Amino acid sequence: MFDRRIDLAGAALFVAVMALLPLMFSNNYLIGVLTVSVIYGLWSVSWDFMSGLTGRENFGHSLFIGVGAYTAGFLNTAWGLPAWWSLPAAMIVAAVFALAVGIPTLRLKGPYFALAMLSTAVIMQRLMLIFWEQTGGEEGINGIEPLIRSQLGFYYFALAVLVAVTATLVAIARSPWGLILRAIRGDEATCQAAGLNVTFYKIASLVISAAVAGAGGAMYAHYQLQVSPQVFAVVMSITIITMVYVGGMASIYGPVGGAILLVLLTELLRSFGEWRLMIYSCTLILILFFLPEGFIAPVWRWIRARLGARDGASR
Amino acid sequence: MSQRFALAALAAALSLGAAAPLAFAQGKPIRIGVTTPIQLQVGRDTQDSVKMAIDEVNAKGGVLGRKLEMVVVDETENPEVGINAIKKLTAEEKVDVLVGGYTSGVTLAQLPHISNAKTIYLGVGAASPSITQKVKADYANYKYIFRVGPIHAGYQARELSGFISSFVKGELGISKIAIVGENAKWVQDLVPILKKSATEGGADVRMTELFDTQMSDFSPLLAKVKDSGAQYMIVVLSHASSDVFAKQWHDARFPMAYGGIDVKGMDGDFCDRIGGKSVGEISANFAVRAPITPKTIPFFDEFKKRTGRSPVYTAFGAYDAIHIYAEAAARAKSVEGDALIKELEKTSYVGIPGTIQFDEMHDVKPAAPGHKGPAFLMAQWRDKCTREVIYPKALRTAEYAPPAWIKK
Amino acid sequence: MLEILIYGAVSSAVYALLAVGFTLIFGVARILNLAHGSFYALGAYGAYLFAVVMKLPLALAAACSIALVAVFGVFMERVLVRPMRKSQLAVLMITLAVSLVVEQALFLTFGSEYRNVPAFVDAKFSIGGVDVAGQRLLTLASGVVLIGALWLFIQRSRLGSAILAISQDPDAARYMGIPTDRIFTVVMAMSAALAATAGILAGPFLSVQPGMGLLPIVKAFAIVVVGGLGSIPGSILAALMLGYAETLVGYLFSTSWTEIVSVLATLLMLIVRPAGIFGKRAAF
Repeated sequence: MFDRRIDLAGAALFVAVMALLPLMFSNNYLIGVLTVSVIYGLWSVSWDFMSGLTGRENFGHSLFIGVGAYTAGFLNTAWGLPAWWSLPAAMIVAAVFALAVGIPTLRLKGPYFALAMLSTAVIMQRLMLIFWEQTGGEEGINGIEPLIRSQLGFYYFALAVLVAVTATLVAIARSPWGLILRAIRGDEATCQAAGLNVTFYKIASLVISAAVAGAGGAMYAHYQLQVSPQVFAVVMSITIITMVYVGGMASIYGPVGGAILLVLLTELLRSFGEWRLMIYSCTLILILFFLPEGFIAPVWRWIRARLGARDGASR
Repeated sequence: MSQRFALAALAAALSLGAAAPLAFAQGKPIRIGVTTPIQLQVGRDTQDSVKMAIDEVNAKGGVLGRKLEMVVVDETENPEVGINAIKKLTAEEKVDVLVGGYTSGVTLAQLPHISNAKTIYLGVGAASPSITQKVKADYANYKYIFRVGPIHAGYQARELSGFISSFVKGELGISKIAIVGENAKWVQDLVPILKKSATEGGADVRMTELFDTQMSDFSPLLAKVKDSGAQYMIVVLSHASSDVFAKQWHDARFPMAYGGIDVKGMDGDFCDRIGGKSVGEISANFAVRAPITPKTIPFFDEFKKRTGRSPVYTAFGAYDAIHIYAEAAARAKSVEGDALIKELEKTSYVGIPGTIQFDEMHDVKPAAPGHKGPAFLMAQWRDKCTREVIYPKALRTAEYAPPAWIKK
Repeated sequence: MLEILIYGAVSSAVYALLAVGFTLIFGVARILNLAHGSFYALGAYGAYLFAVVMKLPLALAAACSIALVAVFGVFMERVLVRPMRKSQLAVLMITLAVSLVVEQALFLTFGSEYRNVPAFVDAKFSIGGVDVAGQRLLTLASGVVLIGALWLFIQRSRLGSAILAISQDPDAARYMGIPTDRIFTVVMAMSAALAATAGILAGPFLSVQPGMGLLPIVKAFAIVVVGGLGSIPGSILAALMLGYAETLVGYLFSTSWTEIVSVLATLLMLIVRPAGIFGKRAAF
């Protein structure tokens, strides 16, 4: 009970800060960076919901992001539909892909599953290049309309979506559903023996994860106003996993912080020019070594414990 | 009477007041935003060339009493990074003009963001015709886009087919050719035009293939070309591994000579860094150290003095772009906006590869009868990694020498 | 179609050298080493550094490069991977991070342009009308010799038996007194040395640039999955299959499809039979 209130307070504070930041520093570039970080947050949260909870690490999350983005691109340019159709369409397409890919691969163990998903993302990337006449090849699809013309408006929309999605997924994670997913991570065989339809839960969580990622992909397409095969790249999947690591695996809310932190870090490192990626990679190693539980979620839990203990002690 | 006097006094006061911030602005430097892949030769040369031009303009007092300064952001070859580069330069660095470009896909992705920022963009490296198409179709939003160089892929195709019909067929007597290129947008635009005009010029195109830009083993491809019966291979390469292509061609002594557009093959040290294995290849250059215009040789010499390198094609565009901008701004008495755009459209500037003028799509006009615009030069790599111009015949500096293992 | 036969064989040889090292360290230590491509890249760059920059004779340069890469492999295993052994994902992530660091380091030191690694053999050979570069034939021959030697070593020597024992059952091997940790180190060194050799041999005719380790590792991985993780004969067979499949596709169909062959093969094999052709059982 207590935890929940502190959690809500923390969430409210976070939303307030994020909403006020662009107003305090009315810098269009900063708003842009924050918008991108919010979209990455969406992707990280969706990854954590499936892979963090069930322990089946998905190294090909970029597949769902990419199909969402390309769906948006096609609908908007080739079929001339208004931008708002993209979001639901992207979610449906991504969900279909999740079913198509998930059903044969989810029965694979650990790294096999990770690498099977990685392979599908790479294959999609290649196919976009091979069928360049339909997909625009290396250059991709250009001239996509923005979802919301105003920079600030788009940012608030993205923030709202992030908050809504995170809240929903956290709620599911704390429900019996989430308990089952965590149990699958612990010992799948036992779950199966206990009569749970493990396959259903795994696939369902993948589908949800994919739908959110696809929606994020569509939003991204309508923000960048273009889609290219890079959106399927392995780097994209790895970046998201890193963000979840930094945020704290299986916490769902942690990855939001992880995403924002890492996007801002990348921006700050820009002044280091050529050394940027090197610093980034070394940071990754350090995090893996010294902070395997992540950073954001453990810190929050510590804060929560202190606040809870303090209030408890005062009784 | 007194009313008029009062009004005049008011007008005078107001204009003085308006002039004050203008005078204030006169101290502030004009910021040139350079967006280029800094890790590649084309990017390094763009920057050095812009710096060189800025120094020259500043030495003569700058533009409208203001000095020029350069801000560089890496656009890499990735559209997402490119978009970010534009946002950084326009929203945060608040530059007055943008110069740069290399990968057509990146530039295409950047266009809507450049348009939103209402900043003039002078392209120096990307060749796809799609880049300037919107200028005519949607002038109000896309009037900011100009291409100073290179001449677009369609014109390049035309020049290349001229090379095929008058040199490869006309002088070497070879009519069986193969066309091989990387699978990038500008090549996809260029190859159909090339194939059509080469065939119309009497060539027998035995094979056309676009390969994956990341390909690193060309032996199957080269073997296919050999089997097709082609005796000359026309290449269209920019991002692909030209180094490896040349090395593998040489190592297996494939019996066809090759030439065409090879951007990496334009690098001054291309031949040296692959151990001399590109000797025999003919690659297109937009300028070499020859008196193409009065500015060409002085530019090459000064660039070499400053950097120790021989400039690649983006350097020419970048240098000319800065001077064109400076001159147009002086005429328009403004560093941005519609007045400047109008003056830029009227540009007729003697640059490094030729006289630079823009057509109605703000695209640089190629050489034509009566207009000494930029054209193609086909230069061949020779022993000791020197280069000689082979085509056009008027500018030839040496006779063609086939690769050592190919009988003429 | 003699060309296909020869080119396919050469491609297979390079992939086989990479795959065998990869499957070796996996079979023994259950380490999925995503930094394997870095050994390949470092081998090629090492040869460049010693032969071109420091002007040592080529054979000596190659030996120095291989030795250096082996040491690096051991260092990586000891310092970075061993502490992470409890989590498969952590090992994947950290080896991936190492590969990124290596790529960046190479880029910062040598720049992004291609480097020229001198070839051992510069001549060209004409086999039945097919033009083949001498260096490629050398690569093929070396590949066959090295893998053959490795196979014999594992089958005949004491260390080889120890390696086999650990692959089958690490705990039992430990109970028998086999120093597993020390053998992990030796195997890692061998694995790295093989990859470095592949880099030195292939460098002259393939591209030498900081990101060169990425595509080969994808292909090595495909081979190892198809052949069966931990099985050397499986890797050899799968390397031949992949090398020829790519050459055939490129030759008969279109070169833009070659890069997808390996990834598609990986995915299909994972779905149909994760253990691979010769894998004894799914390893996890």
